[in-house]
Amino acid sequence: MPGKLDNDHELIKKAQRGDVNAFGDLYESHAPAIFRYLLSHLDNQMDAEDLTGEVFLKAWRSLPKYTERGVPFLAFLFKIARNILVDHYRKNNNLETKDPQEMDGYSAELISEPIEVVGSQIEHQKILRALHELRTDYQSVLTLRFISELSPEETAQVMKRSVGAIRVLQHRALAVLREELDDIGQHED
Amino acid sequence: MKIERQIEQIINTYSPAISSGEESLESILARYPQLANELRPRLEAVIWLQQVRLSVATRPGFIHDSRKYLEAQIRSMPPLGFWRNLMGRSTPQRWVFNILAPIIVLLLLALVINNAVLTARLSIPGDPLFSTKLVIEDLQLAFTFDPVGKTDLHIQQSRERTLEFIELVMEGDYEYLPNAAGRIETEIDASLHALNNVSKNDPGSEIALVTDLRDILSNELFMLDVLKGTSPTSAQPGITLAIQAAQSGILALR
Repeated sequence: MPGKLDNDHELIKKAQRGDVNAFGDLYESHAPAIFRYLLSHLDNQMDAEDLTGEVFLKAWRSLPKYTERGVPFLAFLFKIARNILVDHYRKNNNLETKDPQEMDGYSAELISEPIEVVGSQIEHQKILRALHELRTDYQSVLTLRFISELSPEETAQVMKRSVGAIRVLQHRALAVLREELDDIGQHED
Repeated sequence: MKIERQIEQIINTYSPAISSGEESLESILARYPQLANELRPRLEAVIWLQQVRLSVATRPGFIHDSRKYLEAQIRSMPPLGFWRNLMGRSTPQRWVFNILAPIIVLLLLALVINNAVLTARLSIPGDPLFSTKLVIEDLQLAFTFDPVGKTDLHIQQSRERTLEFIELVMEGDYEYLPNAAGRIETEIDASLHALNNVSKNDPGSEIALVTDLRDILSNELFMLDVLKGTSPTSAQPGITLAIQAAQSGILALR
């Protein structure tokens, strides 16, 4: 998980000088994590894709003001992602989980097998339901650590807490999630 | 080691192995029987998260395609940097703000400085701004290059010192009187010295300046005499010093 941060420095410098390709490399490196984070809070894959692009466009606009002191690029991106997610919630009132059948028919051509589509949607709904029952900070720590695969240090920077606090939060969040999985009958042994 | 730290280390160590199928829940629990009760529910939650993580992965080709789209969007935007910051986001309101803000700041600054100068000019020895007053007077002298003007300034400052002295007596600040009397003497000496310079270059102006200084010193002497008659004994030594300074000034003028 760690190590991504070390590769960012040169790419950020180039991007700050206006090198779009370097920013593209940063996008390729970090967009999957941002996308997973967004989709684990949204019930619509297209929204998550749109918002991922929005996160990076906003990051590009903020790049001249960005300095690496204390805030690694990934943490910077996740802060933007969190703000964009909040704006999205505001615009769309709130998060509503839906049954896979009710989802707005994410284009079947994007994933070749219809069975895969339904299977993926069911799993996605499981995440949404389980996480939705948790406290916001539990949701955040679990999403950042296990869905976006951030290191404890990166998670601490995104959530503006110490690494020790993240450890304790993660410890509690995992226990509560396990109980929640029993309660909603989603866990499969 | 705290149990949270131990469990986190176990999760960090074995997560990749669980993902790849090299390790199972039971095999890990078997290694840490003393932690089994705490570890089991958390590892089960981690395994569940790893399983469902695939459902929130990007669709095939999305990153590659969206990267091209993002790069195209960025290329169509104005360039980054100073000029973009200055011009790119400017709206009429921003321009008005950019122009008005420095003007308002300068006006406020001028107002504050002006107030400070006025307050300093009214200050007497012992006031916080009195040293500022002396600095302002020194600056005035430093930037007055005409000998007649310089002499006139010294004479005015000599009168200012006497007025300060009188105010000190009226307010009962007798502890400052000896120093204030010393400053009167210094200022009178400076005036006489400046008059000597004028007398060499401009005898016409010299007469007017001498008359002016003599009048000022005579008035000072009169006022100081009155003060001496009405002030308590603790003020007397200081007033006597000031009177002596004024008298020696008048003698020197003769």
